[in-house]
This record gives sequence, structure tokens and C-alpha cells, in this order.
Amino acid sequence: MGSDLERSFVEQLQENQNLIHKICRLYTDSEDAHKDLFQEITIQLWKAFPQFRGDSKFTTWAYRVGLNTAITLYRKKSKTINTIEFNSTIHKVNQEEYNYEEEEHIKLLYQAVHQLNDIEKALVFMYLEDKDYGEIAETLGISEVNARVKMNRIKGKLKKILNP
Amino acid sequence: MDVLDKLKNDWNKNGDRYPKISENEIYAMLHRRSSSIVKWILLISIIEFAFFLTLTFMLNDTPSAKSIVEFIGTSLNTVFGAIDMGINLVFMYLFYVNYKKITNTDTVKNLMSNILKTRKIVSRYIFIKLAYTVVMSLVVLLILYYNDPEWLATFHNYEEHGKSVQATLVYFIGGIIGVSLIVTVLWLFYKLIYGILLKRLNKNYQELKKIEI
Repeated sequence: MGSDLERSFVEQLQENQNLIHKICRLYTDSEDAHKDLFQEITIQLWKAFPQFRGDSKFTTWAYRVGLNTAITLYRKKSKTINTIEFNSTIHKVNQEEYNYEEEEHIKLLYQAVHQLNDIEKALVFMYLEDKDYGEIAETLGISEVNARVKMNRIKGKLKKILNP
Repeated sequence: MDVLDKLKNDWNKNGDRYPKISENEIYAMLHRRSSSIVKWILLISIIEFAFFLTLTFMLNDTPSAKSIVEFIGTSLNTVFGAIDMGINLVFMYLFYVNYKKITNTDTVKNLMSNILKTRKIVSRYIFIKLAYTVVMSLVVLLILYYNDPEWLATFHNYEEHGKSVQATLVYFIGGIIGVSLIVTVLWLFYKLIYGILLKRLNKNYQELKKIEI
């Protein structure tokens, strides 16, 4: 099935798909939108794959394309019929592992992140992925100092959303 | 512990919470069509280029265009045609070069700026073509005013009744209203597409620029 290039791509993506799911989780709030964005990121990754030389890790390369897709390239479909919060559905799967209060709190945190704008979400994503400020700045195309300042502002903004 | 660190704990926990996409599903996705904004921009830009190109050829073929050629002479008409074709080719070349610069592995800021630049080229193209259309229409209006036999007959008719000034006014005001109406409709239509397509991109680009201030 498919060429060697295609096979190698599909294998690596399948193995590292959680990374793409994580981006989708921050940028979308319904199951349909999540699937839609996942698909668009996959197509964009495949488009760029011939240029991927393997001198960086697949994940490092993939998250950049993923963020570019989520922020810039992806065109949201204008359907908002789906009202089921995706967060709550995925959390239900693992309900036994959580105590209820903790779970509610995490849900609120994700909801707060959803209220941030697209650029802020990208910063949050990279922070959660433990990227250093040098890399965050490089990915976005801004200076390191400004990335730090912005990150602090985002933390403040989240606090305000959670404790109005 | 701040808000994001709490979230980070959860973030790194259990990787099995997401739906597992199988290799077969990924294969299927590769052959689906992208609906990315760049694709839309390419498509719409090509339609815009095609629209004005067809307009150029269509206008050259109409009987009134042919009679205008008689009035202004073939050499001048060739010059106008060459300028028009030149504009088309230069813009299509610029568009192509900039379009090629768009890559999804670039930094977020460069990617956005390249898309906006590519789009701006089409914007300028449309603007120049509309301006050119207006100027040409006014020139044609003027040429016909002095040379069109049908109009001259009507004009003499009015002149005999001492209404030559009114006739001239009606002729030019009517012509100008007609031209501006067409241009306005085209411009609004264009702005609408442009606005819908790039609203989010523009917003995000401004947001990123704000960080740098």
C-alpha cells in the first residue's frame, strides 16, 4: 500500500499521533472540529514530508507544522451545531482514575485555555510541551524576551479567567 | 503552583485518552483534499486573474471597441493593449514567486506575512485593473462624444432646440454613473471575499505583531 515514503510517514505519524491530538485539543472544542483539524494537519504534514530530512526529531518538525496549520492555514467550518463539550467526553473514559473534584478543576483549566486567542494557545501548547523560550520564540518568529513577557501575561490572564 | 503547571501535570498523564487513529485511517486522510486557506487564496486569485484576462479579450472583440480603434488609430491601440498585457504578466509572475515562498514549516510569523504579501499582490492587481478600466472608460466616453455618429446626430437634434449644454451634461453624468456603478459592485464583491477569507489570519497576525511592540 503506497510508496516507501508514504509508509514511513504513516508509521511515524501513527506512532506520534498524540502530539497532533494535543494541538487539536487546545484549538477545538467539539469532536467534529477535532477530527477536522487532525485531518488538515495530517495533509499539511504529508505535503511537507519530502522536505523533512530527519536532522530534527519527527515530533519537533511535526508540532511546528501542526501549529502553523491550527493558527494560519486551517479554515474552520462554520458549523456550531455540536454542543457536546469534547473535554468532558474524553474525560469520562478515564473517570475511575480521577477523583471528581480534581477532574472538574482540570476541565475548568482547559475551558479557560479555550478562551485564549490562537497565538496565546500556541504559547501555552509549547509551554506544556516543555519547550524552552528560545524554541518558542523561534517557532513563532518573535524575540525571546517578548515570548517570556507574553507567557507571563497569559498566566495572569488565565488566573483572571478562573477567579474573576 | 501556577495555573499552567497544574495543567501540565494532567497534560503529560495517560496518553490513551485520545482516540487512536489507525494507519489505514491515516492513509485515507492523505488522499483527502486539503481545505487550507492557501488553497482558497490560490483558487480565488486564479479566478480573479482569469476574470480580468477574459474581460480584456472580450472588450477587444466588441463592435464598439473596433470602432474606437478606428478613432484612436491602431498604433495607439497596440500600445494600450501592450501595457495591459504587461500588467497582467508582471502581476502573475509576482504572484507565482510569492506563492512559492509559502511553506508550512516556516515560522508562524513568516508564514502569515508571506500569505498576506501574496494576497496583497492580487489586491494591487485588482486595484490597478479597476483604475485602468475607469481611465479607459472615460477616454472612450470622450472619444465617442466627438466621433460617434449616432451620438452626434442626437446631439445636433438637441442643439437645434438650444439644449446642447443639458445634452452634454446628461451624456457625461450618465456615463460616469454607469462606470462607477460597475466599479463599485466589483470592488464590494472583491472586498467581501477578501474580508471573509482573511479575517482570522489578519487578526492572528496583528496579535503576533502586538507582542513585538
